[in-house]
Amino acid sequence: MKFRTVLLVAVAVLIFGALSMAQPLQLAFWGGWTGPDGNVMRQLVAEYNSTHPNVHVTLTTMQWTPLFTKFLVSSRGGQSPNILAMHGPDVPEFASYGLLTPISNVLQAAGFSAKDFAPAAWNGTFYKGKQYAFPLDLHMNSIYYNKKLFEKAGITPPTGWISGKEFLNMAIKLTLDKNGKHPGEAGFDPNNIVQYGIALYSLNWHGFLEWYELLRQEGYNFLNPSMNKIGYPLQAGEKAWKWLQDLFFKYHVAPVGANSPLQDFLIGKTAMLEDGPWEIPAMKAQKGLEWGTFPVPQVFAHKAVWGSGHVLTIPVHQDKAHMKAAEDFVIWLVKHSDKWALSGNIPAYNSARKYASSLIGRNGFLKEAEYVAMLPRIPKESQVFSSASVSPIVVAGQNILVRNQNIMSVMKWMNQQINMILAQ
Amino acid sequence: MKGKKKSYKWVPYLFLIPYLIAFFAFRFGPSIAGFFVSLTRWNIVGQAKFVGFGNFVELFKDPNFIKSLVNTLYFMLLTVPSLVIGGLLIAMLVDQPLKGRTVARTFVFMPYVIMSTVVGVIWLWIFDAHFGILNYYLGFLGIKPIAWLSSINWAMPAVAIATVWWTIGFNMILFLAGLQDIPNELKEAARIDGASSWQVFWNVTLPLLTPTTIVVIMLTLINTFQVFAQVYVMTGGGPSMATLTVVQYMYVQSFQYYRLGYGSAIAYVIFMFLVIFILIEKKFLKRFGDES
Repeated sequence: MKFRTVLLVAVAVLIFGALSMAQPLQLAFWGGWTGPDGNVMRQLVAEYNSTHPNVHVTLTTMQWTPLFTKFLVSSRGGQSPNILAMHGPDVPEFASYGLLTPISNVLQAAGFSAKDFAPAAWNGTFYKGKQYAFPLDLHMNSIYYNKKLFEKAGITPPTGWISGKEFLNMAIKLTLDKNGKHPGEAGFDPNNIVQYGIALYSLNWHGFLEWYELLRQEGYNFLNPSMNKIGYPLQAGEKAWKWLQDLFFKYHVAPVGANSPLQDFLIGKTAMLEDGPWEIPAMKAQKGLEWGTFPVPQVFAHKAVWGSGHVLTIPVHQDKAHMKAAEDFVIWLVKHSDKWALSGNIPAYNSARKYASSLIGRNGFLKEAEYVAMLPRIPKESQVFSSASVSPIVVAGQNILVRNQNIMSVMKWMNQQINMILAQ
Repeated sequence: MKGKKKSYKWVPYLFLIPYLIAFFAFRFGPSIAGFFVSLTRWNIVGQAKFVGFGNFVELFKDPNFIKSLVNTLYFMLLTVPSLVIGGLLIAMLVDQPLKGRTVARTFVFMPYVIMSTVVGVIWLWIFDAHFGILNYYLGFLGIKPIAWLSSINWAMPAVAIATVWWTIGFNMILFLAGLQDIPNELKEAARIDGASSWQVFWNVTLPLLTPTTIVVIMLTLINTFQVFAQVYVMTGGGPSMATLTVVQYMYVQSFQYYRLGYGSAIAYVIFMFLVIFILIEKKFLKRFGDES
């Protein structure tokens, strides 16, 4: 009897052990890709799962704001995901909360170094000298153009960087009132424009980003080297805002207060659009639209364009086995990020970026990859560079680009508000 | 010998237990916890720092909060009269024995079942300053294009128009139910006594509709005070904070700036406003409800 009992227990333990061994290690991967980009990432995850039977990655996507709130709450309860995607400028805030694992040694062990990635993407993974993230991609502003409208206006689309003056002349030629007159011509009616040269965002935080890239083209940083105060000369800021403001109110080449610049471009009401690569799926889906991209104009001395980048982080609160599996997955993902280019994002990994050049409409973005200017990486990023309506950068953009207010007074107000937030 | 009769008075409470568990776990408990959070400075992950009523003091010195409160009251001023009077008028119209009234009721109520975000997107297109359908038709009347959503003067009225279109059907249903509760004999008696249609409405229908009207007004006040989604989609609170509402400000502070203590303080100020509305409603219901 005794022997039979022991035998039964041993068999049960063996079966249970075998069953547990057969179960793949579960990894939770969270990202904010709620559009077609989410489907591309899902395909990559499925490929990983099919080639790595011992691990099963589950991708959860939701919008970035609720995703980060969920992450904070989960971390509070010790239930962080195993891999969390975010943007480069988000890293300092979460790293300063102690929620991210430094991963410099993992990158080194995998044979990655700075020279393997676009500089802005690589630099966007550090906080206080420590590396907290794997660079995945870059997404920056670029100029989308409507090929048919360019052809109609007799303009050959640029293929590389052009000057601000060249860009403005092009935008003027592409702007038409109901009598077919262009801005600057006698009898031009700015109240009856049927086609605009360029669609620019001015109601959301992209108005500020368009200005930020011009400030960087002048060679200035937004914050001081200690990152605790505004650091650019007012005159430089004024020059950049003025260039943008004139596009709306002096030259009438951009519609004031446009609610949906993307839609205006898709339906052919504007000939150009300044926007990011996340709009590529929308361009491809628009029937009859023939489009391409070229870099944003170089208005001032240096080439610079606002951009950001997705990075992959390994949150704390997980055991060694999960952490190792998460690292392996992220390394695999970075190495296979050529397919991620299908989402519109430009891979940060140099060898993966080559594949993007074979895809339609990537020209502008690829030419800009070396000149991406990310927002300063500060722990108070969510407040200083917030896209909320109360954010000083959003209000400033609206006051200057929609309400045509005095640039200097708006800018002084914005700087004061941001200095206050940084001082808190 | 008769046994002592068992008391089953506690049985109904037994049936209430599942609801009470959910109520305390997901409503009452978090509400109480929210009050304690409002007394702290807390970003979810760090240690909460007790600041007493510091958040409330800061709140009333915060120009953005004051602006959001004023904006919300302005939104209520724009929407509540239209929703109440408009709802009553439509209800009276579709209460008439006219052909196709059931279809008319359905059409008026239909927008109410649409998700608020979808409502926002629909009206975003209608109100587009340059290529929107509304400005296109206004052009035929010789009216110059209006920057509905990008002008600080027009943005809030535009959101109010969308809200009235979206929610007036709900008020219509409440009024319709109230109208159908009024005995027809009373109106007939008034007419036999020589009352005109206006006199019947003013002296018979409206007084008997008072309890419904009070409920409609209060529900509309409470709902409009908590306006969020359509503003979030249509204007995001802009331009220049012209449509920033108090619930949106709470959302920004709590979930975008991670200032949970401050956000909870805003939530409690909203709660106090709602309590005031409900107390007023109770008072009116008691007074006018009894009379009618």
